[in-house]
Amino acid sequence: MDRRLAALLQEKFGERLLAPVRQRYDESEIRVALKDATDTLRTLHDDPAFRFEMLIDLCGVDTGEEMQVVYHLSSSTSGDWLRVIVPGLDRTAPRIASATFMWPGAEWMEREAYDMFGITFEGNRDLRRIYMPDDYRSYPLRKDFYLADDASRSPAAGVRNMERAGTPADATAATVLRKSPGV
Amino acid sequence: MTQQMRPSLDDPRVAIPADSTWYEPAPIPQTERQAEFLTLREGEMFVNMGPQHPSTHGVLRVIIKVNGEKVVDLDPVLGYLHRGVEKLCENADYHQAICYTDPLEYVSSLFCEAAPVAAFEKLMDVDVPRRAQYIRVLTMELNRIASHTLFQGWMALDLGGITPILWAFIERDEIVDMLAALTGQKLLYNYYRIGGVNGDLNHEFMSRLGTWMSRAAAQIDSNLALINENEIFVRRTRGLGVLDAKTALKMGVTGPNLRASGVPFDLRRDRPYLVYPELEFDVPTRDEGDSLARYLVRMDEIKQSIRIIDQVLHEMPDGPVMAKLPRLLRPRPGRAFGAVEGPRGVYGTYAISDGTDQPFRMRIHDPSFVHLQLVGPLTKGNLIADTMAVMASLDPVMGGVDK
Repeated sequence: MDRRLAALLQEKFGERLLAPVRQRYDESEIRVALKDATDTLRTLHDDPAFRFEMLIDLCGVDTGEEMQVVYHLSSSTSGDWLRVIVPGLDRTAPRIASATFMWPGAEWMEREAYDMFGITFEGNRDLRRIYMPDDYRSYPLRKDFYLADDASRSPAAGVRNMERAGTPADATAATVLRKSPGV
Repeated sequence: MTQQMRPSLDDPRVAIPADSTWYEPAPIPQTERQAEFLTLREGEMFVNMGPQHPSTHGVLRVIIKVNGEKVVDLDPVLGYLHRGVEKLCENADYHQAICYTDPLEYVSSLFCEAAPVAAFEKLMDVDVPRRAQYIRVLTMELNRIASHTLFQGWMALDLGGITPILWAFIERDEIVDMLAALTGQKLLYNYYRIGGVNGDLNHEFMSRLGTWMSRAAAQIDSNLALINENEIFVRRTRGLGVLDAKTALKMGVTGPNLRASGVPFDLRRDRPYLVYPELEFDVPTRDEGDSLARYLVRMDEIKQSIRIIDQVLHEMPDGPVMAKLPRLLRPRPGRAFGAVEGPRGVYGTYAISDGTDQPFRMRIHDPSFVHLQLVGPLTKGNLIADTMAVMASLDPVMGGVDK
């Protein structure tokens, strides 16, 4: 079943895939470029060969060098699960098209990704903070957000920039604590 | 010493302007949707519910826009329980991350740990011993029954019935005590480990389980008889908050809420994990999609869980309960998504490893978070009191919603 899915994905998206389809256990994984993201999701949803009608999860990822948005889809005909990774969002101003046009249920998950990573989902009608207060300024799940006890092991040596309201004028760029460009 | 005078509401300095329904500066709309919500038409006003409201199942604040007694729109305000579990897990090693996920949904903790454990085991290619798999299924199903019985009590309580929750707690307390005998904790079990479980079944657990199983079915049936045929309950919930299958799929609904809309999606059967493929059980569904259907699906699931426990007890093999693993776990770089079917829907954990002993990113997906979105669409046009009936039937737990 899964092997058939890999062949099908390769055939349908071919040159659009940034990396070959990866399969491990019961998960398949594809990577598509930012500009192809919406089209790919729409094809995966509408195409009778796929029918990935359920959005199981949507989340942001900060690799320390770029932002990614990751979708987990489930097919309602074959029972396959697919992970769609959209890498290459600019870390300073990450933007991507919203998936709410297809899955209205993605609204809050996108709000969460906005709240935690600062990723702007264009087309989401209600993109505002969901967990943190409205006047909160930083993005807690970014890799340059210091936790209190990171101070001892961080390069910034004791400087805690969590909950900093705005960037001070003399601040240098925040240090990214942990990078993993490979993932 | 002079006693300080409490300010009177007649005092002009503390008086609230009559045209304002906000007890704080009214929020400045940041989005199109919020602007629409904050615009009042003729005859409309805001009513604040929570954050300490008994029927919100946790600390949830809901701003309801009403016209007379009818709900026009509502806006849930989240974040009162936000602990930043995902960030904490990124700064803990793989073993420590599991115990952070326990308090997410405090009425079904075992599922919250089962999801990250499943993801980590995929990352590390660990084979879980058969006995440990059976023990996991056994404890998860017990936890599911405890959660569903509590739901039954809560649901009735939100509709104004006091008695059912007292009866529900009899069942739940017995299960919780049983699990406490096994794991050492009543609520936050921290029982699952990467590669197995923390300890083998012990005598106290087994004897309590045996006693409970001998009367469980009858006891639960009598609990159901208390509510299922109660005319007030049935008339209050039938046809209320109807969710059709198409909308449910679009909204990302999973679990009993989806099955009550007629979609037989159950991870235990559709994407089998542990030893579920070897066990016999039905996936109860209903077609109505209303609050009553969501309630009845859960009650049917309790019976299926008892059936599963019965089979597990008969087929439990002997053997070790932990795989042999090094103490410090450093999985190869990679990504894995572990998902389990919980009492509320799909509990998922998406873990990314970068080769160190800490997860690089750990995303926790909680079904309650998705389901809470539905409260708005489902209650529009209903009475204020029905907001609680709808919310109770969706069964969100705020610990999980707020992470």
